[in-house]
Amino acid sequence: MAHTCMHGHTCPHGEAAVLFQNVSVEIGGVGILENICACAPLGGSTAIVGPNGAGKTTLLLTLLGQLPYTGTIRIAPNADGRAPRIGYVPQRLSFDRGMPLTVLEFMAMGLQRMPLWFGFGSAHRGRARELLAAVKADALEGRRLGALSGGEMQRVLLALALQQDPELLVLDEPAAGVDFQGGNVFCELLEGLRKERGFTQLMVSHDLATVTHHATHVICLNRRLAAEGPPKEVLTPETLTAIFGIHMGLVDRRAMPADGARCSDGCRTK
Amino acid sequence: MSLDALYELIPRILPLECLKARFMQQALVGLLLLAPMAAAMGVQVVNFRMAFFSDAISHSAFAGVALGLLAAVDPRWTMPAFALLVGLGIVMLQRRTTLSSDTIIGVCFSAVIAFGLAVVSRDRSVTRDLQRFLYGDILTIGDTEILCLGGLFVVLMLFQFWGYNRMLYIGLNPALAQAHRVRVAFYQYAFAALLSLVVIFAVWAVGVLLVTALLIVPAAAARNFSHSAGGMFWWALLIGVASAVTGLLVSAQDWACTATGATIVLVAFGWFVLSAAVALLRGERVA
Repeated sequence: MAHTCMHGHTCPHGEAAVLFQNVSVEIGGVGILENICACAPLGGSTAIVGPNGAGKTTLLLTLLGQLPYTGTIRIAPNADGRAPRIGYVPQRLSFDRGMPLTVLEFMAMGLQRMPLWFGFGSAHRGRARELLAAVKADALEGRRLGALSGGEMQRVLLALALQQDPELLVLDEPAAGVDFQGGNVFCELLEGLRKERGFTQLMVSHDLATVTHHATHVICLNRRLAAEGPPKEVLTPETLTAIFGIHMGLVDRRAMPADGARCSDGCRTK
Repeated sequence: MSLDALYELIPRILPLECLKARFMQQALVGLLLLAPMAAAMGVQVVNFRMAFFSDAISHSAFAGVALGLLAAVDPRWTMPAFALLVGLGIVMLQRRTTLSSDTIIGVCFSAVIAFGLAVVSRDRSVTRDLQRFLYGDILTIGDTEILCLGGLFVVLMLFQFWGYNRMLYIGLNPALAQAHRVRVAFYQYAFAALLSLVVIFAVWAVGVLLVTALLIVPAAAARNFSHSAGGMFWWALLIGVASAVTGLLVSAQDWACTATGATIVLVAFGWFVLSAAVALLRGERVA
């Protein structure tokens, strides 16, 4: 049964980079997402939050065209009128950790046609190093990919996504498996890159502390849309209790920055 | 097209008694084409855990032969055609269903074997041919097969050159590759098709039982020797070719007189043991 989205075909929170309209996903007869109407404002940092099993990653996968769904997903075209370039940072790579593959090779893999067994093109090597430097991973270039820690891997995956020169950056739980300190560093890094490069950011997170300081827009999900809007309006004790259960009413809204946009303020609060 | 000129070069480069016979020269040329292909594909098979996939393809050889018998077509055509069908079918099921990859392969695997055995069991005269498929016989390779192998060699190396980095991308995470504008479906189908053909030729050389070994043992040894993806590729090629040539020559000696396919795989295994020792000495985990 299809309800129409409350706001029809527009995003009430500004111009939309991505607009989900009545998106539903069923896997094997089980409803994973029901009638999601939500948007990610252009140029903003949107966080998708919710408990485990809420369908956060599923929503991202529908956007990436990896899962069948009903409803529509509108992705705003870029300035050239084409589909925007997407950079994707997956939650993890489920690869064989013993595989011989250096970080520099991993970066060159997406840059050059010439097979890695013929070495690196010098321009590509330079570009790969530049991207690694942009995520503060330049010291890792000679390391084996399988030997990286969770936080290092996250930064290298971010560098690979930036290689696409993305207009829309999609991240799946970027802080999962990274300690609090590491999570904050990553969050500051992203904030800086977004300001510098002007991409729209859409990320799944279950780390509410990071979200509250980092996001400009929040989509609260628990198989259905629970709430959507700026963090200060959305992350009320009522909403949090409704989707996470009783203990999550603890986020102190007074600690949130008024416009919700300045990541570094939050990150420095220890 | 005559390959005589090519064969005559061989005794000049390698002046060995056993290489004076034409069938040995043909076998050597065949192996020099097949071994690098198997090694190159083996790198991806090992890194992306597709050994079971190549096993299923090799076992489809029975059914391929059986189909040839049923339709009264030369099995040399029905074998690769059926293998292609099975390989592409498995990829299609993997892409379209939510079943796990090894379940899909397991189902196809048993179906093609059962079909092959059912047809073959009706006709007693074929059973003696079966031994050839179990153990392989590179020494019966002819000029037509060598020309086909040569054609496949060119196509496969072009694919490896053009698509090696993309295959790596897809192997690490298909969704990531797709989001970053790699044509995942094209590469997956092309790789499966090429792997199916290589596997069927390898059945000819080393037999159904040892095909997977020919693919993965050089690559597994190469993994222990190298620290980079580029290095692993060259090591696998080197080990694959060296094992094939050594295995062929050893099997032809009077004191050995062993099956060629088995000897090749044993030599490759020797390389693996050596590589594992090197990795252990370096204090690494063995692949």
